[in-house]
This record gives sequence, C-alpha cells and structure tokens, in this order.
Amino acid sequence: MSYESPIRETLVTGGKTYADVTNDILRPLEQKATKSWWIGFTLSALVLALWIGATTYTVLVGLGAWGINKTVGWAFDITNFVFWVGIGHAGTLISAVLLLFRQKWRMSINRSAEAMTIFAVICAASFILSHMGRPWMAYWPVPLPNAFGSLWVNFNSPLVWDVFAISTYFSVSLVFWYIGLIPDIASIRDRATTKVRKFVYNFFSMGWNGSTRTWHRYEMISLILAGISTPLVLSVHSIVSMDFATSLVPGWHTTIFPPYFVAGAIFSGFGMVLTLLVVGRVVLKQENYITMGHLDAMCRIVMLTGSMVGLAYITEFFVAAYSGVEYEQYAFINRAFGPYWWSYWTMMTCNLIAPQVFWIKWARSTPWFIFLMSIVVNIGMWFERFVIIVTSLHRDFIPSSWSMYTPTIVEVSILIGSFGLFFTLYFLFCRYLPTINMAEIKSIIPTHHADHGHGQAAHGEHAKKGDAVHG
Amino acid sequence: MVNTRRKEMQYMDNKMLMGIYDNPDSTYAVTKQLMKEGYDIHDVYTPFAVHGLDRVMGVKRTRLSIAAFVFAMCGVASALTLITYASYIDWPMNIGGKPSLIGPDYIPITFELGILFTAFGMVGAFFVVNRMFWGRNTDVIDVRVTDDRFVIAVNIHENKTNVKALEGIFVSGGALEVRERIKEI
Repeated sequence: MSYESPIRETLVTGGKTYADVTNDILRPLEQKATKSWWIGFTLSALVLALWIGATTYTVLVGLGAWGINKTVGWAFDITNFVFWVGIGHAGTLISAVLLLFRQKWRMSINRSAEAMTIFAVICAASFILSHMGRPWMAYWPVPLPNAFGSLWVNFNSPLVWDVFAISTYFSVSLVFWYIGLIPDIASIRDRATTKVRKFVYNFFSMGWNGSTRTWHRYEMISLILAGISTPLVLSVHSIVSMDFATSLVPGWHTTIFPPYFVAGAIFSGFGMVLTLLVVGRVVLKQENYITMGHLDAMCRIVMLTGSMVGLAYITEFFVAAYSGVEYEQYAFINRAFGPYWWSYWTMMTCNLIAPQVFWIKWARSTPWFIFLMSIVVNIGMWFERFVIIVTSLHRDFIPSSWSMYTPTIVEVSILIGSFGLFFTLYFLFCRYLPTINMAEIKSIIPTHHADHGHGQAAHGEHAKKGDAVHG
Repeated sequence: MVNTRRKEMQYMDNKMLMGIYDNPDSTYAVTKQLMKEGYDIHDVYTPFAVHGLDRVMGVKRTRLSIAAFVFAMCGVASALTLITYASYIDWPMNIGGKPSLIGPDYIPITFELGILFTAFGMVGAFFVVNRMFWGRNTDVIDVRVTDDRFVIAVNIHENKTNVKALEGIFVSGGALEVRERIKEI
C-alpha cells in the first residue's frame, strides 16, 4: 500500500508477510515463558525487593536514613528523579516527534520506548514521594481549598508546575500508549486459545473491529495526540529544569537550563532505549524488525544530542567566566577541580567525548559496542544530575556551612532498587503485550510480499495511478 | 403469516455479502469500483489503517479535531479560573511585594491543563463515537481481520442488489473468498 522507494533500504527485512508479523511479534506472548525471561524477571524482582525494603526503611525512619545534611538538602533523591524523568522522555519523543516528521523507522521501536517512558516516570515519581519524608502528605502540592489550615499552593513556584507537568505527562503518555495498543490487543484477542486470555484481551480491546470508519478517527486522534505530546515533552523537562533555574543557587541560576535539560533527556532516553533494544531484538528474535538501520539511526541521535549537551556544558562554563560574578565562577571551578572533580570528569567523558565515536560507521553497526556505549551514556547522564545538584549545593555562600555529601547504604539501595522496579515492569510488559506495534508495522511492509497474485510490477502500476499511495 | 413475512424481510435486509482479500491494493481497487457502481458498502475491515480507503468509501472527515480544540479551550479556561481564583481572588499572597496576578507564571499550568483536557476529552469522545468501552463484546466480522485479511462488506437489499454481479466484482478483484453473513442488529 505504501510507496516503495527503489533506493531506500526497507524498514522490515526478511520478506515478511502480514501473518508473519503477527506470528513473530506475538510469539513471546503466546508461547510458554522462556528460561531467559524467568531469569531476567526473577533477578529484577529481587532487586525490586531491595527497593521496597530501602524505601520502607526510609519512610519508617525518616530522611535521617539518608546522607543529606543542612547544606546538601537535595542529593541522591532528586538526582535519581531527574535521571528517570529524563529517560522517560525518549518514548514520547520517538512516537510523537518522529510521527510528525514522518520518520517511519519509529514504528519498530515506539511501543517499547513508550512502555519504557511510563515505567521510568513511575520510578521518577517514587523518588518525589520518598524525598518528601512524609509521603502520606504527598497530596499537599495539589491545589486544595484552605480546609485544613494551610493556604493554597503557590502557583508561582516551579515545584507546583512540576506536579502538573509530571502528572499530565504520565497520564497523557499512558493514554497515547494504550490507544496504540488497542488494535494489537484485538489481534491477541482473536487468536486467544484459552478462556482467561480471551476474556482479558477482549476486555481491553474495547470491541475493536478494524472498521475503516474507526481507523479514520483513530488516525486523526493519533495525529492530534502526537501534536500535543510534542510540546508536552519539551515543556515537562523545561519545567523540571526550572526547579533549579529559578532558584538563586550559583550553577543552577542559568537561562540555558531548559534547552540543555531537554537535549539531555533525549540523549539519556535514547541511551536507555538502546540498552533495552540491542538486547531485546536478539532475545525476542526481532532482528528483522529492529534492524541495524534502526540502531544506526538511534546512534546518530545519541551523537547529536550528546554533542548538544556537551555544547551546553561548555557554554555554561563560558557564561560563568564571562559574567564576572565570582560566586558563579567559583561554582564552576569547584565542579571541575573541587572535591567532586571525579564526578564532573565522568560526566564530561561519558556525555561529551564518548558519543563522538558514533561518527565512525563501525561503532554504529556493532551491537555489543552500541550496548556498551548505551551504558556509558546512562552513567554519564546520572552523573550530570549529580554534578548539577550536589556540587552546586555543597559549597554555598557561607564557607562555614560548606559540607560534603556521601550517600548512605539506604540511598544506594533505593537507586539500585529503582532499576529493579523498572525492569520488573518491563519484563512483565514483554511477556503480556506486543513489544512492536503490529498494526503500524503491517502498513509499512511492501504490499507485494503479501500479494501472491501479482509481482512488484503490478504494484508499481497501482502506485503510478496514484491510488492509495501514502508516504 | 404476516409475521413470518416480516421476519423474512428483516432477515433479507440484514444480509451482507463479504469479499475477503489478502492485500490492501486489491481491497482499495474493489472498494473504489463498488462505490462507482453504487453498491451500499457497509464497511471495510482492515488489519491496519489503509490510507485513502476512507476517502474512497466517502467517510466524512471526523469532527474529533474540533472536539479536541473545544476540550483544549476548556482546559485553558479551567486552569486560568483556578489559578486566578486561588492566588488573586480568594487569598492573594504577598511574595516579596510582587503582584499576585501575574501572567507569565500562569503559563505552565495553563498549558499543561490544556494538554490534559485535550488528550482525555478527545480520546473519550473517540470512544463514545465508536461505541468502544472496556469489556465490550464485539461481533468481529472475521477473526482474521486483525491479522492479515481485508474484508469488504456490502449490504444486500432485497430486489435491489444484484448479488450475482456483486459476486462477479468481488471475484474478479482477486477475492480469496466470498460469503454471506447476517448483520448484527
């Protein structure tokens, strides 16, 4: 149905037919869980148990269980929050921004990237809750009338904006993801062999029947959801950056923060997508759907956004020097050469220098190397947030209150445990939902693969007549 | 006697002839031909969105985009009302002597709520117009339609529809299968 360019490589290789797509992508769901799935899931669940333990301990004991002090009041908690929220930006970026730009290669990766988004935002939200110290009062930033003695929330505060931004982002991403899932859930429903499967997938398919009238409306709302999600992604991380940028702390008080954070979020998000997909495509046998071309395209984005982030680092340094403000200058000198120099140079190496290897074709076409680089990017982006938060705070305006921050075992456990939360959810997703959007993939495989009667010439004739060609 | 006759008529008017295809191109071509020859197409069922098919079938452009805009404006209005009421009318806060009615500071929440209302309102409207809800049992026209088959369903009107000719069009268009089916009321 779609126009086939004679020059471009096909997005789906292996000469798949429509039925092949359904069979390939639903295989992990319909067969018994494999050994590797059980191993991965059990490991993740164990790490999740660590998270549950450490978080419960924090709630019971209070924030005294953490290494924070009067000077460094935000440390691991907000570092982890910004880290996970940043990762949570690639999914919507891939499905929304790449949809608007008509980048069809997004179709193989958008489903798992969106799932990743949702799970990452759940991890991020958990840090917001636990850093409050009294999580049972988490509803306080919600604008409620003055009934229990306090005032309205301060609508001028970015922290309140953040509550709105993160909750909107989470719920809109969830809706976007679910809308994309409905036709695929219907496919599972129509192939279900057991009663329970049939019931559950029928329930969530909402009576989807594949009617053209429904598809027509579906396409419209997908486009509009993409249209509104694009500025939403940009706004959410801009607002996260304003949590810092609207303060007076040297090192935070910079106007470059919103674009710098957004670029960083895309960078770290693609890093995590690569971590998941380089492994996932092999384990789930999806090499024909997530091809080397896809990995190559993602590596290019990592390189581009990594360079943008690197440019922001250098710009920050320059502006601090140029401003003539000694506090600002000291904050940056202290970052690079103070007691936390190692975290600064880890960040610089991982985010600015390392992604430059993707200029080389070999680096973009060697899966194990891409996987390694994606881990490097994840580490680098975690350190970026650590550098911004801890090194800016630990030496404030009065030298008498300068202090150092060391995380406690509880904080480290929560950080490691949050990966358990993330991967447990991700493993469940791989087991119960199709990891690739089948309905979209079917629309981009060449028609003649499924067309037994005609060859490519016949298809070309159709295309020439201008019938139903889209692109 | 009369009753039976009526039942029979109802039965006749509830019939559809379905052509089943394995290819979006032939589905498109046959649909186009059927429309040209004036058949009453009930619907075309496809495993993915076949672009242009809606246009050929004469599906009118959905008004969901207008609904989305209306919901967006509702969101914007609610946000502005809430913020203005809370921080200007009900309890103006003095923060460093700054005015409590400030335009720029209201933008982020207004924007977020606009997006939130658009997404939920529009998707809700989409479910309503398609009569989709959790747990709905649908009468799927053919289970393979969510896998790899394309079904064109044409309503048969007694004494009006030339079933033989219709079958001919289906088959010559490359149908794998042509069969009759009773429409669910």
